[in-house]
Amino acid sequence: MAKVLIPTPLRQYAGKQDSVELPGSTVGEVLTALTAQHPDLRQQLYNNEGKLRSFVNVYLNDEDIRYLEKDATPVKAGDTVSIVPSIAGGSVAAPPEPATAELSKDEILRYSRHLIMPEVGTEGQLKLKAAKVLLVGTGGLGAPLGLYLAAAGVGRIGLVDFDVVDFTNLQRQVIHGTSDVGRKKLDSAADRMREINPFVRIDKHEVALSSENALGILKDYDIVVDGTDNFPTRYLVNDACVLLGKPNVYGSIFRFEGQATVFAYEGGPCYRCLYPEPPPPGLVPSCAEGGVLGILPGTIGLIQATETVKLILGIGVPLVGRLLLYDALAMRFRELKLRKNPECPVCGEHPTVTKLIDYQQFCGILQPVTTEGDIDPVEVKARIDRGDNFVLIDVREPHEYQICSIPTAKPIPLGQLPQHLDELDRDIEIVAHCKSGMRSAKAVDLLTKAGFRARNMKGGILAWSDKVDPTVPKY
Amino acid sequence: MIRIEPDAWREMVDHAQATYPNECCGAMLGTIGDEQKTVRIALPLENAYTGERGRRYELRPEDLLHADREARSHKLDLVGIYHSHPDCDAYFSETDLKNSCPWYSFVVLSIRNGAFHHANSWLPDAEQTKAEREELTY
Repeated sequence: MAKVLIPTPLRQYAGKQDSVELPGSTVGEVLTALTAQHPDLRQQLYNNEGKLRSFVNVYLNDEDIRYLEKDATPVKAGDTVSIVPSIAGGSVAAPPEPATAELSKDEILRYSRHLIMPEVGTEGQLKLKAAKVLLVGTGGLGAPLGLYLAAAGVGRIGLVDFDVVDFTNLQRQVIHGTSDVGRKKLDSAADRMREINPFVRIDKHEVALSSENALGILKDYDIVVDGTDNFPTRYLVNDACVLLGKPNVYGSIFRFEGQATVFAYEGGPCYRCLYPEPPPPGLVPSCAEGGVLGILPGTIGLIQATETVKLILGIGVPLVGRLLLYDALAMRFRELKLRKNPECPVCGEHPTVTKLIDYQQFCGILQPVTTEGDIDPVEVKARIDRGDNFVLIDVREPHEYQICSIPTAKPIPLGQLPQHLDELDRDIEIVAHCKSGMRSAKAVDLLTKAGFRARNMKGGILAWSDKVDPTVPKY
Repeated sequence: MIRIEPDAWREMVDHAQATYPNECCGAMLGTIGDEQKTVRIALPLENAYTGERGRRYELRPEDLLHADREARSHKLDLVGIYHSHPDCDAYFSETDLKNSCPWYSFVVLSIRNGAFHHANSWLPDAEQTKAEREELTY
């Protein structure tokens, strides 16, 4: 027994009632009873094939029955069944859904080298055309992924990014060019991909992926490819993929080494099975801090692209349950076996993570709180010029001084600072700097605990270049 | 025909102008008489489309469910849906048609350079193949 709320325009077909009490133990039975009692409603709700019309959604209380047990969703006395249309639109005609039934003459010519391989063939090319792939990030990994997946004819490619192209990207993010510096990465990438293959539909999502928007964005795609460079987003993408049941084609890069695998595919392990907990913040340096060989993301991104295409075509042996490790200096690939962790908090037998959480907090990333001791580069310059009695130390690594340095700064790499404390005078204030202010903040912390008076130069040598001396190169 | 009362109309135009250059969307609550529909309350809803919202809109069914409840609580009916077309005319596009529902009036507001320009109301058919223009006064 349940109450069905009738939308106003349909009341004329339901004896002018705004709601009807109907028998039934499932939503399906209640709806059958509804159309039996009011046959005219049937044509409004169902098409000629007896299926609910495409714009009709059925809700049990506040939940869409598609996410419950559909027609078999049980109802009890006091439940309310609502009929809610889906409505959308827009000023332009929708980009045409790829006509997946056939390939045009132009497409046959374009994909000829695929079509003559029986493993792909017309059938496989149509699968590629019908596929919807989301690339999270259009940076180092996203660049080769975007170029090759567009060229291969993946019908719909979504891009998530909110960054703009800068000069430091060009060493590896080959989807962007020198003339794109300052443009949105989304625009730059989409233009390049359209140039490669105008048959591909590209959807731009100009957002930072978050717990609030991730499920809404990911749900429309078949495969998610993770090209991110930070732990919170990696856990977010993983959990969202597990919750939605979408494969997560993973890759990561650092300096000369990379990793790739496919997570959350057909009962395989997920990222949390491999890394249940994130590393402490700051322990694993990012590419901006540790550097990366420009070619490396090309290799790893194309392993991800290969796996994506294999998943779409359903051929070969997917990289599931295996973590591929690549060492560019040794030019060696290794494989680690990955097992699904039955205790995994998100994909295990008794999951404790059943919705998206606060990933910044999970990864221990807190906003910097101690800004009190910071000193602006302009003030540091003024002190040098006045001849104030203080010492400026540069806690970067020796190869970084070679790129650029501040002439009066004394180089002491952060890792060697504890051994060099004797060389510093406790009566003279110390100002520490690094590239952007992260490492020097740690140096200031260490010095303060050791009894020194120390302050951090805000923004590091990058800020020095911006505010004091533009001839100092940025890196 | 459909008549939109001044307060509701102001709300719709303000919403469309404030959302420019993106598309806005919302629900219209009122009464349905034999001759005429009257819109008394405009209920702005979030454009839930996840791509470029300057050219598309999407209503969450949950928001529509909420709008229907809101209407019932005011002893009113959900009469229709409104949305804006930034920098183009208030026609019923192919996209509008393919994602429509024949039960409601669809009011489209044309916004040019951030200011209201003109509006039309449309009644799509059940097969989503065509929409008839409905007389609109405001």
